[in-house]
Amino acid sequence: MTSDPHPIHPSHTPTGVLRLGVFFQGVNSSTVWRLPESGDQVAWDSFSRIITTAQRGLFSAFFLGEGLRLREHRGVPLESDVAGRPDAQTLLAALAGITENIGLVATQNTTYNDPVDLARRLQSLDLISGGRAAWNVVTTDNAWTGENFRRGGYLDHADRYTHAEAAVEIARQVWRGEEIEHVGAHYTVRATGRLPRSPQGEPVVFQAGVSPEGRDFAARTADVVFSPFGDRERAIEFRRDLVERTLAAGRDAQAVQIMPGAELVLAETDAEAEEKVRWLRTQQIGPRQALDLLEQYWGRDLSAFDPDGPLPDVDPEVVVSGVTRGAGFQFEKAKELTDAWRAEAAAKGLSILEFARSRQGSRGGTHVGSYDTVADELAELVRLGAVDGLNITPWLVPGGIDDIVDHLVPRLQDRGVYPSAYAGPTLRENLGLPPLA
Amino acid sequence: MTVDPTPTAPVLALDVRADPGLVADLAALGRALEAARLGGVVVSGDAERGELHPVLAAAALAPHTHAIALLARTDAVDVEPFHLATQLMSLDHVSLGRAGWLVEARSDEAAAAAVGREALSGADLEREVADVVRTARLVWDSWADDAVVRDVERGVYMDASRLQYVDASTATFSVRGPSITPRSPQGLVPVLVADEDAAAVGGTTVRDLADGRARDVEIDPTADASAIVAAVRAALEGARDDEPAPRLVRLLEAGFAADPEGRALELARAADELRDLGLVAPAPAPGTTLRSQLSLARPDVVIDPARRADRARTA
Repeated sequence: MTSDPHPIHPSHTPTGVLRLGVFFQGVNSSTVWRLPESGDQVAWDSFSRIITTAQRGLFSAFFLGEGLRLREHRGVPLESDVAGRPDAQTLLAALAGITENIGLVATQNTTYNDPVDLARRLQSLDLISGGRAAWNVVTTDNAWTGENFRRGGYLDHADRYTHAEAAVEIARQVWRGEEIEHVGAHYTVRATGRLPRSPQGEPVVFQAGVSPEGRDFAARTADVVFSPFGDRERAIEFRRDLVERTLAAGRDAQAVQIMPGAELVLAETDAEAEEKVRWLRTQQIGPRQALDLLEQYWGRDLSAFDPDGPLPDVDPEVVVSGVTRGAGFQFEKAKELTDAWRAEAAAKGLSILEFARSRQGSRGGTHVGSYDTVADELAELVRLGAVDGLNITPWLVPGGIDDIVDHLVPRLQDRGVYPSAYAGPTLRENLGLPPLA
Repeated sequence: MTVDPTPTAPVLALDVRADPGLVADLAALGRALEAARLGGVVVSGDAERGELHPVLAAAALAPHTHAIALLARTDAVDVEPFHLATQLMSLDHVSLGRAGWLVEARSDEAAAAAVGREALSGADLEREVADVVRTARLVWDSWADDAVVRDVERGVYMDASRLQYVDASTATFSVRGPSITPRSPQGLVPVLVADEDAAAVGGTTVRDLADGRARDVEIDPTADASAIVAAVRAALEGARDDEPAPRLVRLLEAGFAADPEGRALELARAADELRDLGLVAPAPAPGTTLRSQLSLARPDVVIDPARRADRARTA
């Protein structure tokens, strides 16, 4: 095991403790639905089984995404991936009743939630759970999502973080029992926070955007960043950047923790794990999903193309107004992107299906190896101070973290980088965050 | 004298205010509510009184209860209809079909100002509530029960032809749909209106849209079983002939949270006697849905061709 003798940033001291969270997606192509052991991602039993396992493994947090509109594909709800989920906070309030220590994190959008109502719901969850709630703050601006909400597509892309910052500020005023008089560009809100403080004071704030605006927003307001940078190099670079921004915002270098998203593919030996990840990609991505993936970027019907053949030789249809999958899809860049994909697939000799499978889990957060190999890898990341934890998306529901809890956690404990017990009943304690003033 | 309960005998429910102190021992509260042999609990929570959000407080009781219905008395006005609908569906999912909605219509200055809108009154308020109730039902019915097909051969997880858009467009909002949450165990969450809310909620909802009314019965916190029986009896007998029989009896009793075990004993005796008299519906067995307590059928989703979610493909 190699270890960088120099800290990533002179002001930052690694904690040396890895915290794990489980990001129960239950949707999208990361989750395998075609196996006999694939459970129902909406059923109460699936949630209760996985959160109980996570708590047995001393996970710090159980993390839920938010759905604001069903993903669509060329104007029709996407049929080839898992879809559908319960309201995050309603579910977490119920899960609070069958758990004692694990944190309960709800992803909630600042654009399509009324801030005072959202703050009250989060504070209710925090009180119900005895101080275990957190809010993962996300933003969006697309009008397509807005079609389900009163204000529609009211927010410009450029304004989304200004708006998010106001929403977090309003929420914190609610939590602190203050009087709120917010006059913003988009609405005016008057209210008074009337609920008491919870055992952890108020909900922990996570943040998940990594644009420059998103990073500055996190540096000013967040306790934890849920980043996409799980590989060593990019994790180090992100830490360095975030520490700079945090110091510039006048906060302590340790004030913001980093928990990248992660996918873990584990086995007894490295060779078995390599074999397993190849098999996993075939289970995540079938021929229909491969074509669906390409069609989302090509913006046109590609059903005439053979999934076992080369990438389509036609150009994408550029539909600037046709955002049908939610945030993040920039059709104006489609030509550039699809050209790059065609070049990459041709160079590597990949078919449509093989290319789509190679894209799955390729965003740096996948750790593949024996339990010992991955334990070493993660121990190094945390000793370096590149990360404070990982937010693991299980690729199987509900059994997808069993091997992590049974085989990886004990090895992390052996290496002295994982807690041997919960630090206390609140999330703030279990993340090692300083108590609120 | 034992009388068979009529199929329309109301469900006996206790109103519990979602005071933050309530969460200190939710397990004990759940046990007491079930020991009280109730048909349901109504969770009320007023932001202005510093109470928890009622849907979350009701959800928190779900794993601590197994038979009683969990009704949230929650606002239909100063809300996002899409969120409200999926929150109530989710309450139904986590309670395995025991959710209900007692419609509240907050329309005062404080509630409206908290979401940056103007307070509504009169016909505007009535129209808004009706629109939100209708829209919630459209959201609840936007996935057929068999929409998830898991067809490995074709690579299809979900069949879009078994989903439909909501396509609601009202005076103050629109909702496109479909729901983000698949259809819930009861299909449609029962919608009821309490006496306390009837005027604010409005005639259209009370008469035409709700699944029934809840009769409010005030109970003294020290009332013994016979006093509780007498109060319920008087309230039910006092009903006017020209209005439909109530489907829920909502006991308003301030003392329960302070002494759940003691009050549960008295309530259980009263509940047994009311059942012997045929005045309230039978005690639910574990897993009974609220719809079945209310003798409401569970309707299938009927896909409207004009709103079918795969229409873009077939057009």
